[in-house]
Amino acid sequence: MFESIDQVIDQLREQQYICDRRLATVIFLALKMQKPVLIEGPAGVGKTELAKVVALALNRQMIRLQCYEGLDEARALYEWEYSKQLLYTQILREKIGRTLEHVTDLREAVAQIRHHEDAFFSEHFIVRRPILQALLAPEPVVLLIDEIDRAEEQFEAFLLEVLSDFQVSIPELGTIKATAPPAVVITSNNTRELSDALKRRCLHLTIGYPGEARELEIVRLKVPEISETLAQQVVEVIRRVRALDLRKAPSISETLDWARALILLNAESLTPELVEETLQLILKYDRDVQKVTRELPKLLGGSGADSQHHHDHDHHHHHDAGMQAALERQREHTADYFSSYRGNTRS
Amino acid sequence: MDAVVNRFIHVLKLNGLRISPAETIDALRGLTLTALAERELVREILACTLIKDARDLPVFEHLFEVFFQLPDVPHDHHHHHDHDHDHDEPGDPTRIALQPDEPGINQNEHTHDEPSDVRDYFDPEKMVSMFNLHREPNRLSLSSLSQHLILNRNKGLLDLVMKRLTHHLRTRRVKNISQPGELNFGAALEELELDLIAGAAAALQDDLAAMDVDEALLERLAQQIDGVIANLPELLKGYIERELALRANEAQAHELEHLESAYNYRFNEHERRQMDELVRRIGRQMRGARSTRRTVSSSGRINLSRTLRGNLKYDGVPFHPILANRRDERPRLVLICDVSLSVRNTARFMLHLVYSLQALFSKVRSFVFVSDLTEITAEIERSSLDEAIGRVFGGELLDTDENSNYGRALEIFHERYLAAVTSRTTLIILGDGRGNQRQPNAWILEELRRRCKQLIWLTPEGRPSWQLGGSDMPTYAPICHRVEVVRNLDQLGRVAEDLARTSFVGWR
Repeated sequence: MFESIDQVIDQLREQQYICDRRLATVIFLALKMQKPVLIEGPAGVGKTELAKVVALALNRQMIRLQCYEGLDEARALYEWEYSKQLLYTQILREKIGRTLEHVTDLREAVAQIRHHEDAFFSEHFIVRRPILQALLAPEPVVLLIDEIDRAEEQFEAFLLEVLSDFQVSIPELGTIKATAPPAVVITSNNTRELSDALKRRCLHLTIGYPGEARELEIVRLKVPEISETLAQQVVEVIRRVRALDLRKAPSISETLDWARALILLNAESLTPELVEETLQLILKYDRDVQKVTRELPKLLGGSGADSQHHHDHDHHHHHDAGMQAALERQREHTADYFSSYRGNTRS
Repeated sequence: MDAVVNRFIHVLKLNGLRISPAETIDALRGLTLTALAERELVREILACTLIKDARDLPVFEHLFEVFFQLPDVPHDHHHHHDHDHDHDEPGDPTRIALQPDEPGINQNEHTHDEPSDVRDYFDPEKMVSMFNLHREPNRLSLSSLSQHLILNRNKGLLDLVMKRLTHHLRTRRVKNISQPGELNFGAALEELELDLIAGAAAALQDDLAAMDVDEALLERLAQQIDGVIANLPELLKGYIERELALRANEAQAHELEHLESAYNYRFNEHERRQMDELVRRIGRQMRGARSTRRTVSSSGRINLSRTLRGNLKYDGVPFHPILANRRDERPRLVLICDVSLSVRNTARFMLHLVYSLQALFSKVRSFVFVSDLTEITAEIERSSLDEAIGRVFGGELLDTDENSNYGRALEIFHERYLAAVTSRTTLIILGDGRGNQRQPNAWILEELRRRCKQLIWLTPEGRPSWQLGGSDMPTYAPICHRVEVVRNLDQLGRVAEDLARTSFVGWR
């Protein structure tokens, strides 16, 4: 268990996850208050990763439930193992006969059988799906409910009981309560609005794209073999690409992929040709690639040669820093909100 | 501390945010778990426990800044710096709660550098006579109210009052109040009439009634009428300065505001939620695609696992087959919205509806047209409501100065986007059907109707006016499955109810 917010930051850093205070505060509170965390943000900013590293840092098992369209309680909570039940009835036929050997009338037989009824509706015959697994684990675990916005609204309703009381009601068995309440992390890519009831039960956290310094730190940590100049150039170009009006802006995961690819290509610094050749790595849509290619000279201006770099530095100073930051935040905020654009792709 | 947080939550609620008691308790619990040394920490704790919608965050942050003010708020106007240090609340929230009542200090600190002519507008004697006219026993004068507010660390409420006052000022065409750099405060105050203050006082009293206030304290404060009134201009000034500082950073927002003046249908928080609610209700009634999951029903395919389990009692012999079928799922929507001049008054409302529909349902494609037709699904996905609407009306996406041409728009849709309409789609057209005597191209609408699951037309015009001046609604209406007159939230609510009653079954 984390004892303080600083400890959260430190321990996550040990697991190679850089987080700011805001994020650490929410994680700390969630664990202390035993409440689920709902993380929203664009794809690839480390939402899922966060659950993984929390599990690692706490030395807990992580149980993951990937949501998809059509996910139902039989896949998420539990399912009766009917074939096993049937098999057991067959095998035990003789045994049942013997139990009823001395019984004279039907009424008595029914009474006899009733005694043994619960043998067939016991936990023994239940297939434990991720949520039940998490509840029944002897040690507390981290339960990751990934991309909940992919599942239907009805699915959220199944989750409510689990999230508020860490229990599941199975009609035949009664209520199963968690032996050790799991830490629950729910992620959403914000493709649709989640219900208020779900939101109310969770602590809410929005992760956006990281600031320049933090992104640089992440690149250095995750791709340790990268040279300082290249890291800086990569982060700078990525930030400028994000500022463009794109269908899918590159996230941290794309930054890291790109950095790793550049290392494989033995690049020491970015050149326009190199960027153009590797653009496919950070952009997922053809239209975006075309747009960025057009803007390429502007994007690379100031990050190519050292002399230019100097110029860029000055450029930044001219701006009012506070204003710049505010505008940037505003832009990121709106860009983050509806993260994935699905209009044309899924009609 | 509890009292301060509760009051803060009260202020949040007054600003239209919905916060449940459970969330309040969470916030208080969260605060007890950490040392309250840092302001940032308090903000994060409150944000993650109270605010569950990313769109509410800016409101929250603004109110937090105002409510838990730091002494070193950056100001453009240096000559007021010392003054601000004096009356601003300390950053440590625990100290807010413990701050003692110090009327003397509060009265003296504001009087040092204010211009005398400004104070004339707040002549204490005038005010006193004004408010004592009512002679109601429980009626408090504005001065004691504001004094009470200051003393009782009610910065948030005071700011609300100030906000109201400045709002009144703005509506009274005080243009120079928003000019950055120069602060023409005197002119603003000239416009501030006493009835406005009275209105604010009444509103304040309502706020006070909602709070738990010590009777004796009120009594005591009521007697200290003088002084605070003199401070009011100073406070007002401080507030406006802060507003200005905030607004200077929101150049873009300002621009939008300007744009919207032509289309002044602006939703407040409450209406936005009402709209969301209604849209959700409508959506529940619409039939869309078949779902991927099967549920038990009286027809459909045999569900093996359920059948075997259900028939265990018959030794596994399936006497009672259990059938499962796919259910209708949430709808796929295609929205086509007219944004031309003829629907100028309602276009904002319609676009808002489009935005809400797209935000709440996952499979929505939105189009707008005047003469040309263009898809705005991506715009809506990516930007905030106001931005999206600003873009549409700003003429970036299509020429909004043209006359609307339904025939042409339908033609373009037919040509380029017909694939978007399938047997699972609900097609909603929002517009008045006034094609300015051009070819209505009703055959396209007929074909669309054949292709889609439902065709709904929402028009802002009532049926009687369809006969007047070149409306093609009489041509279009019979083709549609349903035509509804929707101009505002009330009518939308009625449509939602109507849909729920008839529940759409008849016209699949």
